[in-house]
Amino acid sequence: MSETRPESDVEPADAAAERTKPHRRPSPIGSRPLARPRTSPAALAPNTARSGHATAPVHRVSAIARQRRRVALLALAGLALLAAAMLAGICLGENDLSPARALNALFFGTGDRGDVLLVGRFRTPRVLSAVIAGAGLAVAGAVLQRVARNPLASPDVVGITGGASLGATAAVALGLAAPLTPVAALGGGLCAATVLGLLAVQIDGSQAAPRLKGGISPTRLVLVGLAVQAGLTAAVNLFIVRFPAELASSALHWTTGSLYGRNWNETIIGAVTMTAALTAAFALHRRAAVLDLGDDAAGALGVRPGPARLQLLAVAVVLASLAVALTGPVGFVALAVPHLVHRLAGPPTPGTLALNALAGALLLLTADLVAQHALPLDGLPVGVVTATLGAPFLLALMARQNRPDPRTAR
Amino acid sequence: MTNAPNAITAENLRIGYGRHTIVADLDLTLPGGRVTAIVGPNACGKSTLLRGLARLIAPAAGTVAIDGDDVHRMSARALARRLGLLPQQPVAPEGISVEALVRLGRYPHQRALRPWSAADSAAVETALVRTGTAALRDLPVDHLSGGQRQRAWIALALAQDTPLLLLDEPTTFLDLRHQLDVLDLVSELNATADRTVVMVLHDLGQAARYADHLVVMRDGAPAAVGPPADVLTAELVEDVFGVPCRVVPDPETGTPLVVPRASARHRRP
Repeated sequence: MSETRPESDVEPADAAAERTKPHRRPSPIGSRPLARPRTSPAALAPNTARSGHATAPVHRVSAIARQRRRVALLALAGLALLAAAMLAGICLGENDLSPARALNALFFGTGDRGDVLLVGRFRTPRVLSAVIAGAGLAVAGAVLQRVARNPLASPDVVGITGGASLGATAAVALGLAAPLTPVAALGGGLCAATVLGLLAVQIDGSQAAPRLKGGISPTRLVLVGLAVQAGLTAAVNLFIVRFPAELASSALHWTTGSLYGRNWNETIIGAVTMTAALTAAFALHRRAAVLDLGDDAAGALGVRPGPARLQLLAVAVVLASLAVALTGPVGFVALAVPHLVHRLAGPPTPGTLALNALAGALLLLTADLVAQHALPLDGLPVGVVTATLGAPFLLALMARQNRPDPRTAR
Repeated sequence: MTNAPNAITAENLRIGYGRHTIVADLDLTLPGGRVTAIVGPNACGKSTLLRGLARLIAPAAGTVAIDGDDVHRMSARALARRLGLLPQQPVAPEGISVEALVRLGRYPHQRALRPWSAADSAAVETALVRTGTAALRDLPVDHLSGGQRQRAWIALALAQDTPLLLLDEPTTFLDLRHQLDVLDLVSELNATADRTVVMVLHDLGQAARYADHLVVMRDGAPAAVGPPADVLTAELVEDVFGVPCRVVPDPETGTPLVVPRASARHRRP
């Protein structure tokens, strides 16, 4: 083979090799229904194989474009559902209002003064808190699972929510004013993450191949995180057991995760800080995508794996802590939403990250509506609902993981 | 030869993991615009050297320079615009399509507020076409055969569009047909775009056939460096690999071909 052989030589050789495999036989020219699975061998059709030019065939809809369209459709559907759920959130309650009455009271402040108070003061902050926290939790989970390369990594598993709970419980124990509880939760989450980071790095350092400067290996991160979470849960329980009864019930209520009694101040602070953290998550998306290729490939593309992983980790921690500060440690959302979005929308892109935010908001809000209105029990915290959903989901996930990976079983 | 652009030079380079030194006090110049093959027995530090040259491992001592510019003084991104590396057995993220994978090669050229340019698109198209992966672009990488997957990864490195390309065992686990495809592609890239190519290979005959310059490594140090015809002798191969052999001219190309001596049992009567 000479070095100057034409491009077209490359392809038929391979296409011929492919054709010998019966299951990869190219389909007739032009027959390429969109409904075919993405693994369709139609892409190997001889016409595309021979036209080795820089200009792609006009009729081709690339996998990337197809995914974009899918994400856009899902986002539209998600937005519609979210709008409906938000409307339900401000309408439903002990006094059910008609949508017209509720919206009127919210946006124009007209009508019954009781309505205005009910919708503006109580229901809207609760709905918005659910949206903000749900979005934050889901994106935190998506980022964490990606960085840790572990589908079970989520803020509730690696100790971040545990730290936030401990912070909040400590605040209650010390008799701090109620508005300081979320601040303490945020501080606790960040402290737990720092401890997690230090432990993971130190354990790394004792190995034959130390990775300094924040080089945390994904597996260690999860294992150390499990230990941190277990320790923190024990500490929270200790606090609650030693508390006077009335404080204990207050702390317990907080540590199950609840949207009860959110006010406008908390909601606005949460919205502003969460927007900033979400922006950071989107800004880091491309770096995360390169990091997915493995440390060496990422390094060769100009992404230093250690610092990049730390940045992503920091964003995930802040997102999760802010969410926990607003609602308490609501489980399941951060774990499940990224999996659902991955199944529906395919491999991660900025679009799927946005879908994560949307789906997280929708899930948390819906769970809260269910907890408030659809169950016979009164005053059930939303965390109980999500945790009840979460346990079977986690088991199903593990069962699926235990099946042989189709990629390795080739 | 060393005056051609995109030469890479290591001086006093010492690389290791922790206290364990793999490559010690290495001085080496890999000529610009040529194909260099690095060969040597397993665990002699070939991959480590390659990773050290690409700054994936910080050296304990010494410098690596591209045309005199110290790579350790460049930003990671600036280096990634001059030097690309295809790691050994890379694993693609689950479900990613060939095109999406190749697009990631443009990362070092992108800026925060200018996400995707016409130049990026053009580079990706060129890379897909040159590696013969244009028809596979919509398939998930994890559904490809070994040879196709390797070409998709080479396409990523091509989209990165660097004048220097390092390949760590690009032919391992490929059958002969696909090995030759990859090597032909590499020498074509070198010939048409004047790229400097450095690759780690196991097959000495292929190394001699495809490389202009050969580095034979032993225990983290170069045992011999130079054109394959000068370097590859029976004494050297026996010395480095512990294999008694004859070196004969390749009947196709005239480059040295290493033929191991048969043990008495297999020798022709």
